[in-house]
Amino acid sequence: MTPTISATALGRRYRDQVALDDVSLTVEPGTVTGLLGRNGAGKTTLMRIITGQEFPSSGDLRVFGETPAENDEVLARMVFVREEQSYPDFQVRHAIRVASWFYPNWDEDLAQQLLKDFELPPRRRIKRLSRGMRSAVGIVIGLAARADLTLFDEPYAGLDAVARQLFYDRLLAEFAEHPRTILLSTHLIDEVADLLEHVVMLDHGRVVLDAPADEVRGTGMIVNGPYTAVEEFVAGRTVWHRQRLGSRASVTIADPLDLAAQAQARALHLSLEPLSLQQLLVHAAGVSADEKVSA
Amino acid sequence: MNTLVNVGRYHLVDRITWLALPWGIMAFSFLINIGVALAVPTVPQGIYTGGLVSLYIFMLICGSLSMTRSLPFGLMMGISRRTYYAGTALLVLTLGVVYGLGLTLLQLIERATNGWGLNLHYFRIPWILNGPWYETWLTSFVLLVAFVLYGMWYGLVFRRWSVPGLVAFIAAQILVALLAVVAVSATGSWSGVGHFFTTVTALAVTGVLALVALAMGFGGLTTLRQVTI
Amino acid sequence: MPALDEGMPLFVQIAEQLADDIVDGVLAEGARVPSTNELAAFYRINPATAAKGINLLVDEAVLEKRRGIGMFVATGAREQLRASRRKRFAEQYVDPMLAEANRLGIDTDTLVSLIQGPGWHNGGSTP
Repeated sequence: MTPTISATALGRRYRDQVALDDVSLTVEPGTVTGLLGRNGAGKTTLMRIITGQEFPSSGDLRVFGETPAENDEVLARMVFVREEQSYPDFQVRHAIRVASWFYPNWDEDLAQQLLKDFELPPRRRIKRLSRGMRSAVGIVIGLAARADLTLFDEPYAGLDAVARQLFYDRLLAEFAEHPRTILLSTHLIDEVADLLEHVVMLDHGRVVLDAPADEVRGTGMIVNGPYTAVEEFVAGRTVWHRQRLGSRASVTIADPLDLAAQAQARALHLSLEPLSLQQLLVHAAGVSADEKVSA
Repeated sequence: MNTLVNVGRYHLVDRITWLALPWGIMAFSFLINIGVALAVPTVPQGIYTGGLVSLYIFMLICGSLSMTRSLPFGLMMGISRRTYYAGTALLVLTLGVVYGLGLTLLQLIERATNGWGLNLHYFRIPWILNGPWYETWLTSFVLLVAFVLYGMWYGLVFRRWSVPGLVAFIAAQILVALLAVVAVSATGSWSGVGHFFTTVTALAVTGVLALVALAMGFGGLTTLRQVTI
Repeated sequence: MPALDEGMPLFVQIAEQLADDIVDGVLAEGARVPSTNELAAFYRINPATAAKGINLLVDEAVLEKRRGIGMFVATGAREQLRASRRKRFAEQYVDPMLAEANRLGIDTDTLVSLIQGPGWHNGGSTP
């Protein structure tokens, strides 16, 4: 099956900076992919190129097998919910109404339900909404459009934790009922970790991680306990990080531990603490930074 | 085709700016002119004002707004820049036809009432909006389209190059005009130019205006290609 | 909502929770198992992960797929799970207990009397 998105050696440079550097990746249809990375890592630039709003400096990018820029057929199958969207002087209901004209799969009932869920007053001018509510407008459009490729770029600016969870729940429900390809960029990794099927991490414009979420999850473990016991346990394993305070140590290892190893840890009175997806990715970013320093 | 119409509908959500204000502003300017005509003693050939230009200027502003304020959300709707431009242009053409007709009708009424009973020529502009109704309709249409496309180009220049770009754009136009004047003076063709203007027909002028409109459209489209939002 | 921790892969945890329900008799043999979408919504996870968990149990013949209707608990699933868990029982529960008892200096006799203490139903088999 043709990947929904396919980037080959994609590059984007501006006068004074390189936003994307030799990015190659594929996004398979019907998956939820997390696009992760620090601020300025290149996530937004990548998404703008995918949606034809920016043009690559080098390399190739295909969406549904074609170049997206100025391609009406491809663009009609995408919806891009950005971090900050500028609207004309519309009320909420105008924006919803206009979107319903353009998106062939638009579900009006869902849109109305989401407006209620997010408590968006339909007749309020978007300009006069709080930042969080403006984000909610984008989310409503993004979900109700039911576009084959739905991109969210940190769409929850200003949304409180309750509204964010509402967004994740609705996103999941929508994805389950009407499968589509979703690319979600975020730095609130742990909040969405369980929704992701695939994870791509960018750092300074480069891909530092591109793997199924299951592979990444459970990769790292923190071993806590008496120093000698910890060292005995981690001998021969890939160590990422060592910390020591007096007679106690905390060592982060890379290898997954089977039941026998877990039993051994217990026998040595060591406690095991799995790394969260967020911690794993912080590590991955740190590794690439170290590699750059030593290169 | 449907998408192009939807772009037009999108702009028309702001009915006030596109439908009400142009006529409102023009009506206001018209009333001012009536007031002036009432205050001033009647002149045999009547008063010709340029007040009608207010409609065209405002439509120019609408054009620039369509490419500044309304562009980002328009492009969010999953359409290319070209489609957005074409849809806007389609709206402009439609409004040009309708508004041109409106202006033609008002001109007919003006003629019939002998200048609103005051010998005021607001809707008749000598030499370009002075002929038979179909010519007036055509010329108004072409003028409107040219003005709006011109405004759209301004909006796009601003989007792409911001204020410095606008300044350069205006400066370039002044430069071109100056060069034309210099060229005419250098070749001693002023009398030729004068002769041309006295003999040219309104229809020919309309033709030239149509070419100008096309040039505006082409310029806007070229600028649009590299615009990012 | 049952908590999912970071330790085991998510899909394994899903499978374990379903297995728990089967062993406890909450999910009877022949009963319909929640669908992928239902599990995904319940645990707030990606449906593909839920599907992986179910497939794990299908591979072990604990669940069976009935075309067009859904996933069902296979006959004999409960006994099968209990048998495999009995095998793991020593490693998971007995060994740690012995290790801790050793650490605290509790001898075998004390350990046996603790096991046979007033709160334990003697005989070994639960209804």
